[in-house]
Amino acid sequence: MIRFIYKRLLGAIPSIFGLSIITFLLIQLIPGNPVLTYLRVSNIQASEETVQAIRAEMGLDQPLVMQYVQWLTNVLQFDFGTSLISKRSVLDEMMLHFIPTLQLTAVAFLLIIVCSIPLGVISALHRGKWFDRMTQFFAFSSVSLPTFWLGFLLIYFFSLQLDLLPVLGKGSAAHFVLPATTLALGYIGTYLRLIRASTIEVLEEPFVLYAQARGLKERTIVWRHILKKAASPTLTGLGMSFGNMLGGTIIVENIFAWPGMGQLIVESIVNQDYPMIQACVLLLGIVFFLTNLIVDILCGWLDPRIRLAGDRIK
Amino acid sequence: MKNSSIWAVSLILMTIILSLAGCSQQDEKETAATKDDKKVFTFSWSGDIGDLNPHTYFPNEFFSQAMVYESLVYYGKDGEIKPWLAKSWDVSENGKEYIFHLRDDVKFSDGSAFNAAIVKKNFDTVLANREQHDWIELINQIKTTEVIDNYTFKLTLHNAYYPTLQELTYVRPLRFVAESAFPASMDTYKNGLTAPIGTGPWVLKEHKENEYAIFESNDNYWGEKPKVDEVVVKVITDGESRVLAFEKGELDMIFGNGVISPDSFKFLKESGKYETKISEPTATRTLLFNTNRETMSDKNIRLALQHAFDKDAVIDNIFYGIENKADTLFPQNLAYTNVEVDPYEYDVEKAKALLDEAGWKTIEGKEFREKDGQPLQLELLFISTDNIQKSIAEFVQGDLRKIGVDVKLTSQESNTFWTTAFDGNYDMLFTATWAVPFDPHSYLASITTDSSGGGPDYYALSGLSFKKELDTRIKQVLLTTTEEDRIKQYHQILTMLHEEAVYLPISYQSNIAVYKKNIMGVDFLPQEVEIPTTTIDMKD
Repeated sequence: MIRFIYKRLLGAIPSIFGLSIITFLLIQLIPGNPVLTYLRVSNIQASEETVQAIRAEMGLDQPLVMQYVQWLTNVLQFDFGTSLISKRSVLDEMMLHFIPTLQLTAVAFLLIIVCSIPLGVISALHRGKWFDRMTQFFAFSSVSLPTFWLGFLLIYFFSLQLDLLPVLGKGSAAHFVLPATTLALGYIGTYLRLIRASTIEVLEEPFVLYAQARGLKERTIVWRHILKKAASPTLTGLGMSFGNMLGGTIIVENIFAWPGMGQLIVESIVNQDYPMIQACVLLLGIVFFLTNLIVDILCGWLDPRIRLAGDRIK
Repeated sequence: MKNSSIWAVSLILMTIILSLAGCSQQDEKETAATKDDKKVFTFSWSGDIGDLNPHTYFPNEFFSQAMVYESLVYYGKDGEIKPWLAKSWDVSENGKEYIFHLRDDVKFSDGSAFNAAIVKKNFDTVLANREQHDWIELINQIKTTEVIDNYTFKLTLHNAYYPTLQELTYVRPLRFVAESAFPASMDTYKNGLTAPIGTGPWVLKEHKENEYAIFESNDNYWGEKPKVDEVVVKVITDGESRVLAFEKGELDMIFGNGVISPDSFKFLKESGKYETKISEPTATRTLLFNTNRETMSDKNIRLALQHAFDKDAVIDNIFYGIENKADTLFPQNLAYTNVEVDPYEYDVEKAKALLDEAGWKTIEGKEFREKDGQPLQLELLFISTDNIQKSIAEFVQGDLRKIGVDVKLTSQESNTFWTTAFDGNYDMLFTATWAVPFDPHSYLASITTDSSGGGPDYYALSGLSFKKELDTRIKQVLLTTTEEDRIKQYHQILTMLHEEAVYLPISYQSNIAVYKKNIMGVDFLPQEVEIPTTTIDMKD
């Protein structure tokens, strides 16, 4: 197992390296000039000399390759530079935004798991019955609801009308309920359908019949044997979603005044804050990779054939 | 099977109910704790308050800088300059020397004394970074700063620059931080402050970046103390969320310009549950015509556009009267802007006649006018995220279609918008004047300079044959020495701009305030960017 993890970790290095090169090049395609943007937000007159001076100060006068090498050398020493716009440490600013998003995503993620697994399994067991139809209706509507609309709707009912929860901001546990629900609802719909489908598939396998023949309790068969087998395809998807949620919470963050990554990324792209964009992309890349690694480990644990296959090929 | 499903469903329901109940209890406890006996006033802003350094710009917000720091003089109602940290001042005969007599009872919030030495120190650190501030002409005009005695400070200028006192009222950069706030390098621009210590009525108590800031009343304040004990500023980026938070009671007031949509304002006002107020006009929302484009260089075309645009429809349908119709580049209630000109009335027939005169003829069977086989197409540039600009743009497009002009709408994200604007790749775009205390003199001065500190106006107007003359006149008016002369020259400049029809003023912007019925003392301050935190009081 340790060997499996070790190999996966080594394998990630080229991917992350490639990712950093691609973003570095893509950033150059953003229209506009970062120096002029900086001058505008700092209220400095843009004479030719100032532009040149700032370009040199930002290191933008160097050839692209040199800029990249310089950046990489610093990053390897955990120095992500300073933001072109706020002039503060990129790492500090990024962490300031990353932690709230991570918290929100974690809560939403938990909500997805807690809701979609039982709902999915139960609807599979009751295929075609009223419960199944209800979850199906819920799944389709939750996937089709636009996030911003859903967010305002939840605020309107739970905060304004029922006065149960605070509207915005971050603070107590109560502040997590609405944004996490908004973020999770669409995913719950997706995953409950996924789990339902894979549970149905497993239900038809001979081992279920055999287990029933052995006289195992219905509950044991469903929650231990069937679920374990049905979970692996869903897990892979969940891993990807976790990464998506970390980077793509901008709308939820906006509605609920949540100080997170989405806002930071969009703002730095708009302001062409190269070091900040680069660091954010790298961070999200690493997070994506780590969640996939965890998913792989979990899948391996659920299904020994996966981890053994890797060892045997060697 | 049946048992297990019932068990699972009830477990989920229980979890949800318990978590909701637990949360709402916690919430009640929290609000009860913050409310005890203190008067805490809460409002929201779209961004963080920034690092509270009066000598820098981004990411600082004007209103928060104005809560903590004060100037030598105050910009009063109708532009009257009033004593503030300076109780009086003398101006030399030639207009080049200003002697300020400072108040002797002012202390910084850390208890240290405010005197001429600290005034000089603050001026000097700002002047050490002149190039960052030279959008303010005063910064370029200052020759020397001197301490005459403990409470007397002297400013010597290169020229008799009349807006000197007015520019001293600006929220930044000429306001004062305490000795202990200076960094080791003494350069507050490059190295920031060690702590935000000013003389103002508020002291920063707690700041959680991008979430909230809490200001408490300054015990050492020399002037009239604020009526509430604390002001909480919450960061809420979205306008609709702001409205919901206000309705929920998490905010006491919504204040500012463009902070909520006109629809939301109308909704809150008509609910009858809250008080609402609209300020006097502050700045002008206007279209700017690019005279470098061949079509737009023709005065008849610019005049035709003025007559073809139905402003009243925009005021009624988009603003519901929150912003009033504008006929001149600056609101008439500012100093020197009360110019008598004939407004361009909405007159479609006149517009059509003007286009005919300019040689753009209607062609049988075609929707748009043509000249030498070219259709009459104009490009209108606006910021993609600005819903008001987008709505107005659609009205413009509809109105001009009626006179046979094809308007192409181009929306761009704000940075790209400004790049395009400065490069001059458009026929018309949305812009706005800067409000007092910058209007009219600073805005007009920006027309004469080709820099990012100015606006796209310099380039847009450079296609006019008399641009050089206009620039000279604007530069002259800033150095006039008599009031009479100044009024005359401003009138000439503003009449010239009106007659050439290079701006199409749409509406006068205003600040709006929506607040709970227990809030008192919400009065608009003369500077658009200031929030009346000191006069606000709350009934129980």
